[in-house]
Amino acid sequence: MNLQIYLILESIPKMLTGLGVTLQLLFLSAVLGLSLGIFLLLMRISGRWYLSLPAFIYIYFFRGTPILVQIFVIYHGFPQFEFIRDSVFWPILREPFGCATLALTLNTGAYVSEILRGGYLGVQRELHEAGMALGLSKLHRFVYVTTPIAVRIAIPAYSNDFISLLKATSLASTITLLDMTGASRTIVAETFAPYEIFISAAIIYMVMTFFIQRGFGRFEKYMSRYVKP
Amino acid sequence: MKDNDNEAKIILQDVCKSFGDFQALNNINLQVNKGEKIVVCGPSGSGKSTMIRCINRLEEHDSGKIIISGRELTNEVKDIDAVRSEVGMVFQNFNLFPHLTVINNLMLALKLVRKMNKSKAREVAMGFLERVQIPEQADKYPIQLSGGQQQRVAIARALCMNPEVMLFDEPTSALDPEMISEVLDVMIDLANEGLTMICVTHEMGFARSVADSIVFMDSGEIVEMKPPDEFFNNPESKRTKAFLSQILSH
Amino acid sequence: MAELSGWLDDYFWGAMVVLKVFGVSLTMAVIFGLMGASAKLSKNRIANKIANAYTITFRGTPEILVLLLFYYGSAIALTKIVQIFFPQMPFVDIPPFWAGSLSIGLIVGSYATETFRGAFMGVDPGIVEASRALGISNLHTFFYVRIPQMWRLALPAFGNHMLSIMKDTALISIIGLEEILFVAEMATAVTLKPFTMYMIVALIYLSITTVITMVVMLLEKHANRHLEVAK
Ligand SMILES: Nc1ncnc2c1ncn2[C@@H]1O[C@H](COP(=O)(O)OP(=O)(O)OP(=O)(O)O)[C@@H](O)[C@H]1O
Ligand SMILES: [Mg+2]
Repeated sequence: MNLQIYLILESIPKMLTGLGVTLQLLFLSAVLGLSLGIFLLLMRISGRWYLSLPAFIYIYFFRGTPILVQIFVIYHGFPQFEFIRDSVFWPILREPFGCATLALTLNTGAYVSEILRGGYLGVQRELHEAGMALGLSKLHRFVYVTTPIAVRIAIPAYSNDFISLLKATSLASTITLLDMTGASRTIVAETFAPYEIFISAAIIYMVMTFFIQRGFGRFEKYMSRYVKP
Repeated sequence: MKDNDNEAKIILQDVCKSFGDFQALNNINLQVNKGEKIVVCGPSGSGKSTMIRCINRLEEHDSGKIIISGRELTNEVKDIDAVRSEVGMVFQNFNLFPHLTVINNLMLALKLVRKMNKSKAREVAMGFLERVQIPEQADKYPIQLSGGQQQRVAIARALCMNPEVMLFDEPTSALDPEMISEVLDVMIDLANEGLTMICVTHEMGFARSVADSIVFMDSGEIVEMKPPDEFFNNPESKRTKAFLSQILSH
Repeated sequence: MAELSGWLDDYFWGAMVVLKVFGVSLTMAVIFGLMGASAKLSKNRIANKIANAYTITFRGTPEILVLLLFYYGSAIALTKIVQIFFPQMPFVDIPPFWAGSLSIGLIVGSYATETFRGAFMGVDPGIVEASRALGISNLHTFFYVRIPQMWRLALPAFGNHMLSIMKDTALISIIGLEEILFVAEMATAVTLKPFTMYMIVALIYLSITTVITMVVMLLEKHANRHLEVAK
């Protein structure tokens, strides 16, 4: 029993390193995914079929298949092609970290664009008209009228997606990455103490979830200052 | 003197508009001269909103001509935004931008369309808030205001652009009765200053005292157009009589 | 595409396993969701607390950790128990199918708890009172009045939960269930065509999720049929 505790104590630095990897994956793919989501949204609402149709198919594919499968297609599948191995992206795609970030980005981008679209559809048509009646251009209406309101409407759903993304980072452990889940799995393999290790990791994830929810809650409150008198 | 004023601001010629199979406007002809005030009334669904929304090109008409200050509204008009900024519009439900404070609602188009700098825009906006008598509400959000105050802000927002024509679509029908007069007072002031106005409303007292002509619409057509005295005392069409007896009996 | 032909039945049977997991997890998610929602809505403070702890835990923990914990954790617990009676027993294995289905059922059940709770609150209390006034028992009112009414409101969100369950089934390959991802791994080892093999998995999932989406749309139509105006 003492040996167990000693091993667990010894594993704390490993877990912390894993936590760092998890946070890197989370923030990198959140930022890239948000940009991708905005890009897809613009394609989707462009009103041109040759832009909106590809965006629709992209979103349909990434929302309709498991993220784990997407990770495997990229990590195991891409090296099948010589042109990928010869491309400039190979140094990134060769590494599990690059593959995981790419898969998470592509996946969350699809969800985020739908969330943002929900926000845009939630903005009353009358407000567009008020902007038109004042002579505001399409771009000005988009930037100054629709977007601030759409963002407010989208925050709760985006917050949930951000939490899903945090949880999805744990799948990077399936392609040998030592994120927090990956680190826990190696420690369990050494100590065979699944309860202690997995539960500690779960608690850390829950704490992060709590702070993410709180952060977005604050942001939403700030953005909603004009909704309640 | 009168002849000088007879400069046509708005001309509608044989304007038709349908939504799918439904003909919302049927051969509308209307001319509004500079400084004229037109009140439009008619039963629900008769096409009043559609007509004034076409004038601002919030709806596109199918055929006929609409000419605003000498510029015809067509698909080719690239600067439709420029035309719109010459024509002010006030909506039934105010349609203030909820995420902007009152003063920022007024300043937005001044900065973006009129390219004013911030302090100039603020000065202009405050001037119009004073004119509608709510300068003290400048830094509140729309939802913190009463309906009547919101509608006055909306009027001020449209006035800021210094429009040549103002369109009102039932500006008082979403208001509680006790707030109607504060909005009508502002509109009467504007009328007395000589602004060109088209106003959809069922406030017949306002129509009687302000309008140069009253237009009665039914089923997408202009049935009758007359000065108020004649309109109320001597309506020609049966449909107008039926409508008047209904609305005046309350 | 020639290398594919030998693997088609493996993919087929793998897909059957996935559908079985889906069926079991879905049933569990509904049961846990109804229990969770009832607990959250009950006046019993302890039930409230337990239900809150349940949803916070399972919504805040990555699915894969839940899965690993259940798989290894229950195996160890079971081994300990069995060893009391048969000390010579080295290790008891938990079937990954059940550990996996239970985990997914619990995870998605925590989301369904919130959905069902909201939907129960949307049911007109007058209807429930009317049922009680007719002398229908509480339990019967629950099953014959409240659930059918609630179901209509819950369906759109529950459709999304069904898609989550479907996609979560892929995780069970991690604890060794022989389903389609496992087939893809085998096929890759032989054919050296990983992209093709994993892409087939993706397309199988895409077809199943498409079917689920369509079924949910039909169910919604069915659930709302009494709202359609007679023609
Ligand atoms: N976007 C639209 N699509 C389809 N039909 C429309 C649309 N807008 C208006 N209509 C129809 O056109 C007709 C005229 O509508 P309009 O809003 O102009 O009437 P109105 O005279 O302003 O009535 P109200 O007094 O109720 O405001 C109505 O029958 C309405 O249903
Ligand atoms: Mg109208």
